[in-house]
Amino acid sequence: MNGYTQRIQPGRPAGDVVIVGGGPVGHRLAERLHHHGHQGTVTLLDAEPGHAYHRVLLTSVLDGGLDPADLELPPVPGARGRRDVRVTGVDRRRQRVGTANGESHRYDTLVLATGAEPRIPAVPGMHTASGRLIDGITGLRSLADCARVRGERVVVLGAGPLGVETAVALRRSGRDVSLVHPGPHPLNRWLDATAGDLLARHLVSLGIRVETGRSAARVEAGELVLDDGGLLTWDTLVCCTGTEPRTELARAAGLRVRTGVLVDGEMRTSDPHVRAVGDCAEHPGWFPGLLASGWDQADLLARTLTGHRSGGRRPRTVLRLRVPGLHLGVLGRPGLHREAGAAEGDVVTFSDPSRGRYATLAVDPAGRLSSAVLVGLPQALATLTQLHDARRPLPDDRLALLLGETAVGRRTSVLPPQDADTVLCRCNNVTALTLTGAWQNGSRSLRALADTTRVTTGCGTCADQIRELCAQLATAEKPVARHEPPVDARASGR
Amino acid sequence: MTTPQRLVIIGYGMTAHRLIEDLRSRDREGCWRITVVGEEPRLAYNRVALTDRLAGATERDLALAGPELLGDPLVESRTATRATGIDRASRTVLTTDGAPLPYDALVLATGAVAFRPPVPGADLPGCLPYRTLADVDAIRSAAVPGEPVVVVGGGLLGLETAEALRRHLGMRPYVVEAAPRLMPAQLDAPAARLLAVRLRHAGLRLHCGVPLRCVEADADGRVCGVRLEDGTRIATRLVVFSAGIRPRDDLAEPAGLARGERGGFLVDGHCRTPAPDIWAVGDCAALRGRCHGTVAPGYRMAEAVAGQLLGAPAEGPGLAADETDTVLKVPGTEVASVGDAHARTPGAVELSYTQGAQGSPETRYAKLVLDSDARVLLGAVLVGHGRAHPLLRSVLGRELPSSPEHLLLGEPRR
Repeated sequence: MNGYTQRIQPGRPAGDVVIVGGGPVGHRLAERLHHHGHQGTVTLLDAEPGHAYHRVLLTSVLDGGLDPADLELPPVPGARGRRDVRVTGVDRRRQRVGTANGESHRYDTLVLATGAEPRIPAVPGMHTASGRLIDGITGLRSLADCARVRGERVVVLGAGPLGVETAVALRRSGRDVSLVHPGPHPLNRWLDATAGDLLARHLVSLGIRVETGRSAARVEAGELVLDDGGLLTWDTLVCCTGTEPRTELARAAGLRVRTGVLVDGEMRTSDPHVRAVGDCAEHPGWFPGLLASGWDQADLLARTLTGHRSGGRRPRTVLRLRVPGLHLGVLGRPGLHREAGAAEGDVVTFSDPSRGRYATLAVDPAGRLSSAVLVGLPQALATLTQLHDARRPLPDDRLALLLGETAVGRRTSVLPPQDADTVLCRCNNVTALTLTGAWQNGSRSLRALADTTRVTTGCGTCADQIRELCAQLATAEKPVARHEPPVDARASGR
Repeated sequence: MTTPQRLVIIGYGMTAHRLIEDLRSRDREGCWRITVVGEEPRLAYNRVALTDRLAGATERDLALAGPELLGDPLVESRTATRATGIDRASRTVLTTDGAPLPYDALVLATGAVAFRPPVPGADLPGCLPYRTLADVDAIRSAAVPGEPVVVVGGGLLGLETAEALRRHLGMRPYVVEAAPRLMPAQLDAPAARLLAVRLRHAGLRLHCGVPLRCVEADADGRVCGVRLEDGTRIATRLVVFSAGIRPRDDLAEPAGLARGERGGFLVDGHCRTPAPDIWAVGDCAALRGRCHGTVAPGYRMAEAVAGQLLGAPAEGPGLAADETDTVLKVPGTEVASVGDAHARTPGAVELSYTQGAQGSPETRYAKLVLDSDARVLLGAVLVGHGRAHPLLRSVLGRELPSSPEHLLLGEPRR
């Protein structure tokens, strides 16, 4: 028995892996396969031209914070990455995929990571007679979409996470922004009325025109007519009204598809040689469209394909809204405990409207967090995220947990100070220890740390914490009177 | 011995009784001779315990005055007598008895009447207010076990009345409340929802958020049903009004005394009207402009006036206008509300705990209102936390001595 048989499941080598779709999740899978020492080739095919890029950070391009070049994902060592190659068919019998330019790639394992297409609502006037979208209307899924945003006045349709982040980014770029949404408040599928209201008020305070309880009735040249007759003028109309998983390949190949490609807990489709991950995949227990979820799926799949045990982990449902000045996070699926017949266990709610803070936690009978919504409580969000990830029970004193202090007497921190093992960048699983090491090896800025450890390149919300760590490390390095003998003296035994 | 001064009290309810009791026990030297004038044909009785009357309690059971007070030479009670006016110039009270009553000090304790919604049919035979012993006796005679009864008013009193009608007289109560939820003055929305679950589980039917449109009569002109604003019709022969009270302040205007914005004799934090020798206490008093309808504030007012009559200076701001501490006396509900339950204090924060599923009568709820530092307890709303209520009441206005979980649940869970 050599070391290899411990890592590759006997009889089921993953072999040559072809990944269709080189977006963040497909890219992540390729990278993780390499990381886990995958034996066999990895081919990564993507239909978009140009470099692979981190789609989640598109809104940073919109607000001018990042250049498109900043979004580029580095090439995966050991993988064959092909861009501008559209896969047109899957031959499951021969285990081959064919492309538009006549290539044919053989696979032992095929992974569909084709993502999702922006859904454009069927509003009269949006399309020309020939079925094309009229000028100025776009989804927000690609760099090309970003380039289509022009002019001063932008109307964003849909106030889910993407719509809200898009509206905020456009507002930060100085534009006149309106946000139209049929629900009673933004992110109404995630947030209860109180949290939704706080979010709406914050958006209004940024100068965004928020039209909730409204939908688009008709599009005319440069004008949007709402269902109540209201009019909004637009130079660009951005549709953030949901996405449709790209399932054409799967359907054509005879795989089981509902809204997305149906998969089991190990991302297997109805064909054991074909898996699906990310926005194109559908599993009853998972929430589609979240980066954390897609990346977790990629991590799990890479471990499975390289013979590692998954350790019983499931993809997390974590949403951190990237809206500056508002710390809003959702863990798990809060709607579940509000639905009929649900929830044993407790619900703990904290409301501080005068300071814009709110939290609602659903705790299961074993004391662990089932789901949570937090606004304006960044420390608690970080702590609860860790406890949620690790499935550890919450401490008894929830008020202290939420406010980071005991309710009794002096303000002392109930929680232990950050230790080396604390994960600061969850997207990339980077600990304080790793960061400290990188710092000591010369990565002395946020940018440098991002290059060496990949922190802040996921959802981007760890940036503040990392900056704080940098400040602490910088202070710690200031010369201090030493009372110990220098190292050489000790080594030489004196 | 100097001649005692004359105190006249108009109204002989629970607050007047407390005033008399308190004054007599502290007035060692007999400074005051008291004449209390009461409209009802009986001595003061425990109005709060009227639901026991539904169960058959006697007048003796409900009576408040003990033999000591009854034999007291310095207390004269004139029952079945109504005060008709106050002559401030001559300092006398006019009554239905005839001769004017002179006073050195006058305390108004006229109480309140049950509010009857001004809808068609509200005074038909079969519609009864719920306020006095006579009212309750009338309800008892009209009650038929197994039959429906519509109780108008889903506040504290309405719910206690409905439950008592069910428990003691075997009737089938329908509670109609115009506000969107039960006990809106004391409870927040989650607590009101859980209370509704518990009450329904106990056999009460509830209609919230719909006002009463009219009371319908049959061919004989007696009540045969009620109709709500949304068209719902409830068949019934008995309608009980427990939809709030209105202070009895008709003596104010002729006597030149100010009234509160929403009625009642306007008094300051020491229960003083603008007239230096006239006070008002209990349900008829608008303490700093605000009327109360529960017994605890009334008792505090009575004690404050007794003190002043015995020479205690009226210093400082006096009583606060909006202290609340209410417990719903319906078995199995364990519903209580203390202090600033609606977090109206600027900067206040709220912390709530719900244990159990939404629709279960076992589900418990506690909401603590804290100051902006989240340290001092300002108020609380409780459902199903009977044990924690007295503890929280004692912490009101002070820093939490331990974690909320510990206060509510005792031992740490796990």
